[in-house]
Amino acid sequence: MRKKFSYDIVRRWEGNPIITIDDLPFRCIDICNAGAVKVDEEYILLLTIQRLEGHYLIYPARSSDGYHFKVNDQPLLSPSQEEPYLIYEERGVLDARIVLLEDVYYICYDALGRHGYRAGLARTEDFKTVQHIGLISEPDTKGSVLFPGKIKGKYARLGRPWEGRSIWISYSEDLEYWGWSEVVISPRGGFWDSDRIGMATPPMKIDQGWLIIYYGIKQTSAGPLFRLGAVILDAENPTKILGRTNIPILSPREDYERIGDVSNLVFSCGAIIEPDDKVKLYYGAANSCISIGTTRVQDIVQACLESEKEF
Amino acid sequence: MRRKIGRDIFHRWEGNPIITLEDIPFRCNTVFNGTPVKFGDEYYLLLRIEGQQGYSFFALARSRDGFHFDVEDRPVLLPAKKGIFGIYEARGIEDPRATFIEGSYYIMYTASSGYGPRIALAKTNDFHKFERISLISEPGNKDGVLFPEKINGQYVRLDRPIGLGVGSIWISYSNDLYSWGHSKVLISPRWGYWDSYRVGASAPPIRTERGWLEIYHGVQMTSSGPIYRVGTVLLDLKKPARVIARCNVPLLSPRENYERIGDVNNVVFACGAIVESNGEVKMYYGAADTRLCVATAKMEDIIKWTLNEVREK
Repeated sequence: MRKKFSYDIVRRWEGNPIITIDDLPFRCIDICNAGAVKVDEEYILLLTIQRLEGHYLIYPARSSDGYHFKVNDQPLLSPSQEEPYLIYEERGVLDARIVLLEDVYYICYDALGRHGYRAGLARTEDFKTVQHIGLISEPDTKGSVLFPGKIKGKYARLGRPWEGRSIWISYSEDLEYWGWSEVVISPRGGFWDSDRIGMATPPMKIDQGWLIIYYGIKQTSAGPLFRLGAVILDAENPTKILGRTNIPILSPREDYERIGDVSNLVFSCGAIIEPDDKVKLYYGAANSCISIGTTRVQDIVQACLESEKEF
Repeated sequence: MRRKIGRDIFHRWEGNPIITLEDIPFRCNTVFNGTPVKFGDEYYLLLRIEGQQGYSFFALARSRDGFHFDVEDRPVLLPAKKGIFGIYEARGIEDPRATFIEGSYYIMYTASSGYGPRIALAKTNDFHKFERISLISEPGNKDGVLFPEKINGQYVRLDRPIGLGVGSIWISYSNDLYSWGHSKVLISPRWGYWDSYRVGASAPPIRTERGWLEIYHGVQMTSSGPIYRVGTVLLDLKKPARVIARCNVPLLSPRENYERIGDVNNVVFACGAIVESNGEVKMYYGAADTRLCVATAKMEDIIKWTLNEVREK
């Protein structure tokens, strides 16, 4: 008998996964994650692809309906061979998150080198060429996202420094020099996000504040379980949490989420809110393919504000 | 028979240690890692004291000669209880480093909390009243030292974030002391050397004719724990991210019982040095995280060793 409700607040598309290595015009090890943006009527994903030698590059994929994508054969973002990026990107650039800010698309990505993960920032107007802005974090800060608007006159970003396993906010007046860092969201003992958390999608402006989809990890004897949850932050004071889901909005259940290079993993770098309030959530599954799930903004908001009723 | 040469390039003062628990006029666990300044005709040492509860705070010791110190009756800076500093200093304040710049003393110290260590900056003119300025680093970062001059119009700091478990010294720049950027690695641990496990800034950089002298600490890991030693690098005066030279050998290693035995064995850890007009460098260092000591060397010898111009027979 078919269940009357979906397993998760995010509903999987029947055609999942939407991009696998069979869709690529070149060989690679795996496809990890995808940042997402809608430019006019075109959907663009920025895929993190691990090349055969083990380095990470970022490739664009394009679609007219948001479900059927064609992947470029050339990367949009590769490890820079120039100073000051050279040694900090030598092992790859990955997990691009896109925001539209002041009429420019900014791409926040993880730069991986011998000294660890740092946040890299680049800009593009057409997703054909990109300009580097800088490496903006200290080392071992992963999963950084820019806010798509200034807060109290400053640029703001969220990221997850390794120390403490929490999500922090930092501010800047010029996108180059960053400070005023504070903790925003921390792991919760006994919950599905007890071990560590990190940013998934960039913040999305909604009526209630900033909607944030993050990932939470629970450790098991067989390894980590990666799930997705949501938080609403106050629009003016983003260190103030207005709501947080007690339950995940998406958990690994399907074979394509459970079986792959990193099993039991759903991990998002981008979502698109359509004019009718529907949310298209693009997510990497088991670090091996890209899938899509849909939901409504109000369903996520409800889960953030009333999640204590769930069990 | 007495050795003709010292065991280390720095010479320990015979009266070491200069400050121990016996010298503190209140109950506490340990005293170590003090940063020195010459204040009028006195020597001031801002001390890290670990209280019996286990968190650290700062007290002030004063001296006429730089060797015999009196510790004041009350601590001069305690962890903040309120506001944003209260959150990130919940487990104490540690390892102060004083830099004189633009007419005031700026203290970089480690703010400790459940969110991890991070670097904080405070300002003082008298070492009794302190104004907290900002929490300037992300978490997982300590050993911040501020250069005593602006370079190319910018403030510059060194620090020690940990990426992928590698403890390197990094350099960062700021226009306002609040927001920092353009960070890059300055020096990393060296395989097979005495500083193979971690390195971190120790004393605030000292201007010399040959470049900025940075006295740092290098850590080697052994099966019974880490060994902390003192090393040096010279940095370009105008482009401090450029390393001119790095000493191949440590200038001070734990050897005496007061450096080998304590809460953390085998540690010598400097938080500052004073250069006298005759070229003598007085380096103040915590020993075994339990007491405070002083050692001296001539600046010209330190430079020669840093340039690796001295050959041991």
